[in-house]
Amino acid sequence: MTLFTRPRHLLMSLLVAAALPVMAAAQEYPGDRDVTLVVQSSAGGGSDIFARTVAAHLSELGLIDRQLLVENRPGGSGAVAYGYTARQAGNPYILQTVASSFFTTPLLGESAFGPEDFTPVAAIALDPYVLAVSARSGIESLDDLIAAGSITAGTTGVVNDQTILAALLAEETGLTIRSVPFDGSGEEMSAVLGGHIDAMFGNPSEILQQIESGELVALAVSTPERLESMPDIPTFRELGYDIEHTQMRAIVMPADVPEEAVAFWRNALEQLAASDLWQKEYIERHNLAPAFIAGEELEARFDALSASFEEQMRTAGLID
Amino acid sequence: METIDLLLNGLSGAFLPQNLLAVLVGVLLGLAVGALPALGPAAGVAILLPAIVNLDPTMAIAGLAGVYYGAMYGGAITSILIGVPGDSAAMMTVLDGYPMARRGEAGRALGMAVYASFVGGMIALVLMTFLSAWIARAALAFGPAEMTALIVLALCLVTVLGGSDPLKGFVALGLGLWVAMIGLDPISGIPRFTFSNIHLLDGIDFTIVVVGMYGLGQMFAELGSSETGGRSTANYSMASLFPRLSDFLRCKWHLVTSALIGFFIGVLPGAGATAATVFAYATAKRFSKTPEEFGKGSIEGVAAPESANNAASYSAMIPLFTLGIPGSGTTAVMLGGLLMLGLEPGPRLFSQQPEFIWTLIGTFYVGNVVLVFLTLLLIPALAALVFIRISLLFPIVVAVVFFGIYSVNYNVADVGICAIFGLAGYVLTRLQYPMLPVLLGVILGPLLERAIRRSLIISDGDVTIFWSSAISAIVLAIAAALLLWAIVGPLIRALIGRRRASA
Repeated sequence: MTLFTRPRHLLMSLLVAAALPVMAAAQEYPGDRDVTLVVQSSAGGGSDIFARTVAAHLSELGLIDRQLLVENRPGGSGAVAYGYTARQAGNPYILQTVASSFFTTPLLGESAFGPEDFTPVAAIALDPYVLAVSARSGIESLDDLIAAGSITAGTTGVVNDQTILAALLAEETGLTIRSVPFDGSGEEMSAVLGGHIDAMFGNPSEILQQIESGELVALAVSTPERLESMPDIPTFRELGYDIEHTQMRAIVMPADVPEEAVAFWRNALEQLAASDLWQKEYIERHNLAPAFIAGEELEARFDALSASFEEQMRTAGLID
Repeated sequence: METIDLLLNGLSGAFLPQNLLAVLVGVLLGLAVGALPALGPAAGVAILLPAIVNLDPTMAIAGLAGVYYGAMYGGAITSILIGVPGDSAAMMTVLDGYPMARRGEAGRALGMAVYASFVGGMIALVLMTFLSAWIARAALAFGPAEMTALIVLALCLVTVLGGSDPLKGFVALGLGLWVAMIGLDPISGIPRFTFSNIHLLDGIDFTIVVVGMYGLGQMFAELGSSETGGRSTANYSMASLFPRLSDFLRCKWHLVTSALIGFFIGVLPGAGATAATVFAYATAKRFSKTPEEFGKGSIEGVAAPESANNAASYSAMIPLFTLGIPGSGTTAVMLGGLLMLGLEPGPRLFSQQPEFIWTLIGTFYVGNVVLVFLTLLLIPALAALVFIRISLLFPIVVAVVFFGIYSVNYNVADVGICAIFGLAGYVLTRLQYPMLPVLLGVILGPLLERAIRRSLIISDGDVTIFWSSAISAIVLAIAAALLLWAIVGPLIRALIGRRRASA
């Protein structure tokens, strides 16, 4: 489907560009115009599922009249998609999903556009992380793991949410953690199950089945509260460690877009986040934590995230 | 016997009209993306994914899986007919398939590819039906250290694939290793050889290298080689357009061993169908009675990789369905599909949703049979493609290649990169450098680098990790034996020869 909506799309972007002055004078945003939601990964990934669910639910709930068209622009560690969106400053008909690459790729100096070139709209879900080990390791609690002194933990990138968590865990507990980067969570999980690495931080949707079937043992969750899907697993805070970090599912717009456009999407996303449909078919299905973060709070979160990624990259020797 | 009951139930489910339709749509799309250069199964699955989210889960996943194994059949078509691999897993098929087509034996080669795909697929399906739970567990024993040993073994095997000039072979291998390093370093995160170009940041997709070097490069070279385009039409007859049963019988053992190799490599996390075809081809050449024909149009050289890639496409789905773990790019997209459909892939999918799983496996059997008939019917028509004049064919092929490359990521830069590799392929061909080592470097290099570096992080720099597990020790011992035999074997033969001469 992506393949076929595409040419229409290119044409539409051209039309949008041509029609912009007219639009500024128009009364209602977004009017009878489709809006594009750009995704920095290919179909089937976490960001893609998020984007497609948002698009489908917004239509289903009648929060938008026209369609929100999902467009995958993978490549360049996100730089292709972020660059595409950022270059359209002032165009209110384009939205963008974000992932950790939103912060890390610009920090590497590999993208001309950073978080400051976008307008944050809202974050409407938080993907928690669960620290898990193989059931065959004999480790049953976080204390057991800490007693090991030195462990290996998987990650799916050199600097991402998982490595932030690993750094926090090391700092709080004195554990030495060697992060082993894998090409995807599948390979990472295989390595934990096969006993090649000791632990991993996984999203609940990835590892809940493995925990329920007894293959993996969950030690702690990275949220402020316990997760509904695994009520027996304590939070890091309960265990006495100041560790809290989740992956944000957020949407941004290009810089310099009209105030009313940002308000429109903020409002639509707020209603979406509060709906039963969203709660049931996205939050519960993928075992996420519900959230609605917007405005200054979201900006503050972005700044904090950017700072911790920067620190991570400095520690890893990626930047000076 | 319980398994057989479950399978029969699954087969009857697979014959429901909506499931048959899903399989048919899936395999047709798979044939198309497989045959279109650059578009591979991962792209095909991604194209179909948004369209299936509202369907019944069995239908949806049957369709997606159909794309995956259908692409393995389709990939051979362009590899054989025009020398452009339809996707990366069909790369090895070019080596012998294309020379056969140029000799006027396109139908024979295509027929072999279909037989091989069918047999490879069926062997893998039977193994999958009875052993999937066990094999998925066994594959987990392959961690980074074991993968390192396996790639070393692969490297020892592929030494038989080098050309006549070892120095040029090594230069070509080095070039391939360098190309594979372009992009963000997967372990330390530093950009390597990207020249601050964002299009190089994620590295160069292997498909682009293969299609550029083999497809465009050889086409350019062929254009320059002679006025007529270097194709002999003298041998063409109606009979040459049809497959032959005698070929099938001649290659039966290659088909079986390649299927087993493909099946096993396909299950391993992160190895992939392309690596499986390299393994199978090298093994077939080593144990062939006529190794000197490999690369010049050997029917065995078509049989081995085609059997292996089909087997691998089925076995790659095993970890996904038994453990909920995707082992390859295509299965990762399928996992996304499972999640979007509201299924929970994981160790309990088999026990909680037996009907879904077994119907799905049923559709695999049906799909494999459907593909044989579809492709056998198509062969005479497709094989006639070689009658088209090069001056008409090549422009069309170039257009199709560029369309394919562009539509993977909608990125014009990819098209430019592909053209550069086409040029590089042309230059290498004119300078008589073998192309295969470049591609082996691109496939095996990253696997080896990642496996070694991950192993060393895990062991904290202790090199004994590479032989401390039984599996890696055995695999390395086999590799050493192969190397030793390559050196000692000729000596012994020479010695025996001398004795006979003196006697």
